[in-house]
Amino acid sequence: MTTGGRSLHPEAILGSKHFSRLKQTKVLLVGAGGIGCELLKNLALTGFGHITLLDLDTIDLSNLNRQFLFRKKDVKQSKALVAAQAASAFNPNVKISPIHGNIKEAQFDVQWFQQFDIVLNALDNLDARRHVNKMCIAANIPLVESGTAGYFGQVQPLLKDKTECFDCIPKPTPKTYPVCTIRSTPSQPIHCIVWGKTYLMGQLFGEDEDAGNELDDAEKQGENAQEIANLRKEAQAFRTVRAALRSPNEQGSNAARMVFQKIYNSDIRNMLSMTDMWRARTPPQPLDYDAILEGTFVLVAEKDAGVMNGASNADNGSTATTNGTGIATANGATANGSTANGHVNEDQAKQQPASSLKDQQKLSLRDNLVLFTSSVNRLATRLQSGEDTIAFDKDDDDTLDFVTAAANLRSVAYGIEGRTRWEVKEMAGNIIPAIATTNAIIAGLIVLQALHILKADFRKLTDADPNNRDVDLSKLKNVHIQIKPAVPLSAISLSRPNPNCGVCRDTYVNVLCDPGRTRLGELVQAVVQSQKQAILQSRQEGGDQGQGEQGGMSGEREEEGDGESEDWAEVSVYEDKRILSDPDFDDNVEKTLESLNVGRGKFLAVVDEDGRRGTVVVSVGVLPPNHPTDAPPFILPSPMPIAPRKPPPPAPAPSTPPKTLLKRTFDEMEISEDQEPSAKRAKLPGGKLHESRLVNSRLPESPSKRKTLDEDGVVIMDGPMDEELDDPGFVIVQ
Amino acid sequence: MSGICRPRLAEERKQWRKDHPFGFYAKPTKAADGSMNLMDWEVGIPGKVGTPWADGLYKLSMTFPEDYPSKPPKCKFTPPLFHPNVYPSGTVCLSILDEEKSWKPAITIKQILLGVQDLLDNPNIADPAQSDAYTMFKNDKHSYEKRIRQQARENIPK
Repeated sequence: MTTGGRSLHPEAILGSKHFSRLKQTKVLLVGAGGIGCELLKNLALTGFGHITLLDLDTIDLSNLNRQFLFRKKDVKQSKALVAAQAASAFNPNVKISPIHGNIKEAQFDVQWFQQFDIVLNALDNLDARRHVNKMCIAANIPLVESGTAGYFGQVQPLLKDKTECFDCIPKPTPKTYPVCTIRSTPSQPIHCIVWGKTYLMGQLFGEDEDAGNELDDAEKQGENAQEIANLRKEAQAFRTVRAALRSPNEQGSNAARMVFQKIYNSDIRNMLSMTDMWRARTPPQPLDYDAILEGTFVLVAEKDAGVMNGASNADNGSTATTNGTGIATANGATANGSTANGHVNEDQAKQQPASSLKDQQKLSLRDNLVLFTSSVNRLATRLQSGEDTIAFDKDDDDTLDFVTAAANLRSVAYGIEGRTRWEVKEMAGNIIPAIATTNAIIAGLIVLQALHILKADFRKLTDADPNNRDVDLSKLKNVHIQIKPAVPLSAISLSRPNPNCGVCRDTYVNVLCDPGRTRLGELVQAVVQSQKQAILQSRQEGGDQGQGEQGGMSGEREEEGDGESEDWAEVSVYEDKRILSDPDFDDNVEKTLESLNVGRGKFLAVVDEDGRRGTVVVSVGVLPPNHPTDAPPFILPSPMPIAPRKPPPPAPAPSTPPKTLLKRTFDEMEISEDQEPSAKRAKLPGGKLHESRLVNSRLPESPSKRKTLDEDGVVIMDGPMDEELDDPGFVIVQ
Repeated sequence: MSGICRPRLAEERKQWRKDHPFGFYAKPTKAADGSMNLMDWEVGIPGKVGTPWADGLYKLSMTFPEDYPSKPPKCKFTPPLFHPNVYPSGTVCLSILDEEKSWKPAITIKQILLGVQDLLDNPNIADPAQSDAYTMFKNDKHSYEKRIRQQARENIPK
């Protein structure tokens, strides 16, 4: 095939003048998974000259159905390396440089990002998406963000200062459940699954919570001994069970029985003793280990039935004898027999659902008990052979069996419908089906958006009028796949940045430094001084002079006589979640960046405490190799970008997300039809909501409406007042 | 951490430093490296005057999730408190701290702490979290009050 034929379409989009530049274009593609494989193929065939492909993952068997650059022989190899090799064959004119690594590593700092013309995300998690977004903002490199979830997908071009960034709008995150619902009053299967996966798994096989130490401390401080004794009793019950699971002398099924009796019998009895809780709720029923094994247990809810139990007993007729001995040993009759019993049960659990769809069969109460015992035994064996802690992993059969059985037993006690192992895997593992076709459509759309961005960039380079870039922005769209047969794709104009965004409204300053010699206070002082000087200078020059792109807000003018000395009067310094200093906390100003764990690739947020100026974010880079050791330990950029003036904060409560984002149902997957397309949001299942950026809404052009809250009042209200209190400080413009 | 989480917590801290209700304290915890952890606060809540909780200053840890303020912080009494709505682990069960009930992103730290203070003397019997305090509160108000006063004495700040 000639390159002419291959390049027909990209040439039509770009025009021949611009198309010739595509060969020199440097692209960073982050992720070589579902979208990444499709996208890499597209990029190579379109003729993007230099592609750097980065992925930290290795190929898994389950990837092969859709990540078509991989073959079975490639399993366990680096995704980036194999994908690059496979795609290189598609177009010899394209250079693909694979990196097997994590994009969050320090070496991939702002300077590293600046070598690229455009960055394309093909990621599967919120954390990495946020990171790349921030790096692209700091480096001022255009980014195309994308994501798919089942049949849904989205592509969104993000350009610093021109469009909203990935963090301008809060992202829907995995649903969490209130502790009361999980611990005391479950009403849905998912509540029991979450309980098994997080609470029970942690209590039995996780790290020992230091509740005991806290109590010891309390006792030392002379607090009420009786009260502490009671609390200790509570903690003690779990400790005894934990110890039994870890002790090789304790017989396996005995420990399982102990666990069972505690959580399904005594804990539930205790719950029942709190009678008020059950006035308006169906009370749970304590379960009886032996009665279930013997088949004599009767559920209150199924008085007329025994149907489930009866049937399962008939099925289990052949194993009834082995179980007979099982009960005897479980009661502690013979030590050896008990070990054997553990194995019998394990085999049973494997044999019973031996059909090809075993994972999709509903287990009877007795099946669940057997699975519970066998999985507890298997996990206990692992603890005894040296594993410190075991956490839930959907691909770890022992933990999946345990969570399935534990959740189903709890469901039985609470009169909730059970779930199959298959369903539990999907719910507990937050699995969303990955659809190859969706990935392919999205990868195609990414290339189109990327070409539009590059065309604008190329124009800017060749044309005299740099504003041409803005003209071309109209071609950039936020594109979704939607379930509307007549209009499968929706394209929405891009929104302006959220003026309150804590990521893209900051002013980024790349500082080259030696963290071992740079003191926090010195660096911050230098940045602040330099800001003040730049402000003064721009004022003397009469207006916006000296205020670069990074200065942001166009048309901003320094008001005369506003007393520049008040800008940056006091500062606070943050690194991610850490406060390094603030006006009341100066312990760290004499410390070096290194001793504060601030090195290459990290960001220091320098905040004007009075909120008069936008935040300056210092990205830490490395000094050039020829920098003399006796020279100052850091180099500030010149010219220094000025943090723009901020309007005075109207109310204490800062912006918050719209309420609709918080109200999602777990098992629905739909796009709500009752909203304008521009404010369309997707409701997705909990776990991987963050996988795709399906939420889109218009941002306010006008200042946020804010209401002052009753400062001292406590806000616990329902009904009409909600509107009032719910004020998000953040308005959706229809 | 979301783009609004840090600025919001920084603002909460600033507002608290400027003004907070009498007898309370709230500050980010110090880490081993000398920095403070913005996501994890130490808090002290005084019992209301005129209630059996008076004179006590009850210590609480407040842990903010990455999605704060979309999601509420977790509040845990350390050591655990004898109270019908406090789990044996110390975790507080309160509607304004519940994403599915009354939590609103606009609720400030000050409002949360005043809400927890209010809960001390006004337990919610429909949602008990520990059986000991619940049972005593239900069956023997006199002993319950005595117990609360005792607990208050044990929590007088030194």
